[in-house]
Amino acid sequence: MRERKEEEYMSGNLTAMIDVVFQLIIFFVCTTNMQNSVDDRIQLAIAPNGKPVTKKDPREIKIDVDAKGHISIARTYVSPELLKSIVKKSMQEYGNDTPIIIRGDSEARHLAIQSAMNACTDAGIYKIKFSVLKEKGR
Amino acid sequence: MARKKRRSNIQAGELNLTAMIDIAFQLLSFFVMTMKPTDVLALLDVSRPAPDKRAAQQQAKPINVIWITILADGTFILNDHPIKKENLDLQLTQLGALDKTQTVIVACTPKSSHGKMVEVLDLCAKAELGSLSVVSVE
Repeated sequence: MRERKEEEYMSGNLTAMIDVVFQLIIFFVCTTNMQNSVDDRIQLAIAPNGKPVTKKDPREIKIDVDAKGHISIARTYVSPELLKSIVKKSMQEYGNDTPIIIRGDSEARHLAIQSAMNACTDAGIYKIKFSVLKEKGR
Repeated sequence: MARKKRRSNIQAGELNLTAMIDIAFQLLSFFVMTMKPTDVLALLDVSRPAPDKRAAQQQAKPINVIWITILADGTFILNDHPIKKENLDLQLTQLGALDKTQTVIVACTPKSSHGKMVEVLDLCAKAELGSLSVVSVE
């Protein structure tokens, strides 16, 4: 009789804990973004008053400009000439309103940003968007 | 006999959850450790002038537009007068209250910082000035 009571005390009811653990796992699985196509080395400038990104256009071209002035698309370095031909090709496929987003490092000099912008204007795009940090994740 | 049968049934229904709980906790700790809060991004829209240099030279500086020049040392110049960031914010807010369609041209030198340009564009966005252009000057 005494042994049985001790056994009961030893084995607690784990159901609630397992429920919570699985709920937490489901939460993390659903919210974790494993794929990261953008360059993490770029420290975006902070602009609290910018328009928040509500919807993504699948046609958009993201141009990264790092602090040293290197231009890249999807982590691949490109020259201004190559960038111009990429933009031109995209315009032929998706139209003249293809969104161009420049992700410039806050430390980058304007010269590098200028060459990226000039490549776009040479290709025929005059509307450009700058990606900025509205709020830093805590 | 009846008592013996009942006992054997209970034993067959017991499950060993130790391995599952181990895995669940390992998954949970993995997600907790690798989770990175996402940054809130925003976009700042600008226009670029046509790349035709001769056309740009022929055009005189328009009178009814606001020129903000950003120098390499981070100094802001509003219509040929150096201005502090706080005063620029005030001026743009007043301008935005009067006319939101007012064109603002942000001129950057090759060595001026991209972060400073974003600061000016952010102030324009705060003042709800929508007609923004970025030009590059020597």
